[in-house]
Amino acid sequence: MNIINIKDIFIKEFSVEFRQKFAFFGIFLFAATVVFLIYKSFNNINPREWTILIWIIMLFAGLNAVVKSFLQEKKETYLYYYTLFDPIDLIVAKLVYNFVFLCSLFLIILGILSVFSGFPVKDFSLFFSGSALGIFGISVVFTFVSVISSADGGNGTLMSILALPLVLPIVLLLLKISQVSVRLLVDTSVVEDVWLLAGVDCILLGAMLLLFPALWRS
Amino acid sequence: MNNLLKIKKFVATIIIMMANIDLVSGQNYPSDFLRSTGKIYSVALVIAIIFIGIVFFLFRLDNKLTKLENHIKNEQ
Amino acid sequence: MGVKGLWWKVAGVIIFIFVLIGGLCVPLRPGVTSSQPANAKNGDTLFMNVIGYNTHFSTAQNHRAWLKLDSIHAIAAKDFFGKNENEAVITFYLPKDLPTSAKVRPLTLIVDNELDGAFVQPNALFLTIEDNPTHSSSSWTQADLTNLSVASGLKFPYRNILNETIRNTFFHVALWFAMFILLIAGLYHAIMYLRTGDYDHDIQSASFNRIAILYGVLGLLTGSVWAKFTWNTFWTTDVKLNMTAIAMLIYLAYLVLRGSSADHDRRAKLAASYTIFAFIALIPLVFVIPRMTDSLHPGNGGNPALGGEDLDHTLRLFFYPSIIALSLLGTWMASLLIRYERLKEKIFLKS
Repeated sequence: MNIINIKDIFIKEFSVEFRQKFAFFGIFLFAATVVFLIYKSFNNINPREWTILIWIIMLFAGLNAVVKSFLQEKKETYLYYYTLFDPIDLIVAKLVYNFVFLCSLFLIILGILSVFSGFPVKDFSLFFSGSALGIFGISVVFTFVSVISSADGGNGTLMSILALPLVLPIVLLLLKISQVSVRLLVDTSVVEDVWLLAGVDCILLGAMLLLFPALWRS
Repeated sequence: MNNLLKIKKFVATIIIMMANIDLVSGQNYPSDFLRSTGKIYSVALVIAIIFIGIVFFLFRLDNKLTKLENHIKNEQ
Repeated sequence: MGVKGLWWKVAGVIIFIFVLIGGLCVPLRPGVTSSQPANAKNGDTLFMNVIGYNTHFSTAQNHRAWLKLDSIHAIAAKDFFGKNENEAVITFYLPKDLPTSAKVRPLTLIVDNELDGAFVQPNALFLTIEDNPTHSSSSWTQADLTNLSVASGLKFPYRNILNETIRNTFFHVALWFAMFILLIAGLYHAIMYLRTGDYDHDIQSASFNRIAILYGVLGLLTGSVWAKFTWNTFWTTDVKLNMTAIAMLIYLAYLVLRGSSADHDRRAKLAASYTIFAFIALIPLVFVIPRMTDSLHPGNGGNPALGGEDLDHTLRLFFYPSIIALSLLGTWMASLLIRYERLKEKIFLKS
């Protein structure tokens, strides 16, 4: 593992994404439209709906963004990477990039949703630590699935089919944690949930790092 | 094609059977046929479902093998 | 197919027949289905109509019954009249004085005779305390709750809502265990494929996974039939049920992945990696998350279904063989699929 390589790939991904401003604003627009649509149809969003909405919007906006960003890569680019980098470096860089990207997406959606319907979170540390862990898990799954789909010939539909069931348990845990953090539920065992989320993250990460080199060779 | 039709008919029969069961069980709650004698018939239903599952597998395998046989016949 | 390859298939069938016959023919222990009335006041004379299941209220001779308040306090029945085998009227004189000061107390009904042994109906009667009774426990400690009879013979435990459906343990629950064994076989072959690159392992992994998915779907179906007859709904909010449904979705996505690519080598590699990933995602789903929340399932959240000591020796006698039988039958089905795929492979390679 080479930190400099990881940093290089990360910066490259970042510059590619932001060179095409329309793509980035597209995601922003997607989030804003969905939030506005839901706000207008509910008129008044209560905390329960708020927690559900933020994760549903996050899930689909994130999936959209990751599918789009990996569809940009061409087969030749991968071949080029293959000659340059260690597979572990590449996947870690992609993962870090996806994580940072999804985190900023989350903050944007949080901002838009808060403008329309307030910010009901009472327990900040629980909410943000849970969210960070959850987004990390989601980005691990998305990165792994995007690698599988790109190896399968760049099929975006396949990616959403594979990714959605895999992230469901993470999203369910996230929903519970955020519902506790807005004081909808009182649950003394929520710390266990956070630890469980961290555990799931670690296992998924380990599996990805183990499996990726084998996949990469094809 | 013929096989597909058969399977469709089979599935339709099962669905109708299930619907009837639901109709029966919806009425007068504790004393219908499937709940009589300590709900023993629901155990029978569970075993029947497992059996239907295995039969479904056999149907699929049968179809696949028929296709393979036809393929070999056409080759010769 | 020689005798060598045959024995485990025959064993699977024989064990399954053993489970079918034994699991359906062994009777349930006697139990109380319902009792009327559910409420009484202190000082009443109580005529309790009890409806039993598999009981011998008229043929048995030495009937005894108690209403139990806690581990030391109980009152004995004054009279027991068996109308027929499954119906009886038990008379209790409820004392005026009480050992505790609570307003409403649940009492447990215990019935005992020499043919059925002792059996229990928890919370059979709610005793409401009116006026101000004197706190004394003298009338509550004279009941002679000793020498309970023990019924002989092989019998399954009786549970009130479950009744005979307790036998579904051998079919529905065992199906899940067998599914896991098949999934582990699929996982093993996926790992072996990634290590050796032998295409035969991919065929085996796919076949085991397919049969496991069939078992999983059957498990969901049988589970919802069972739920219909115990909780009167096809689908509950039960965590275990919903988590397993998600697990099935993950594995159905596996089938989509297998169907998506035409290139053999690539498909095999992707499918093998996805199998490993999916199995890892399955572990917290099925084992960790459901344990953290209340569930309708046996042994969870104070459910009176099958918790702890209730998966007793009689159930185990058929439960474990059932797992073995279903796994063997599943392996048989998977081996048929494997042989079909191998044949197909050979024929298409030739042409």
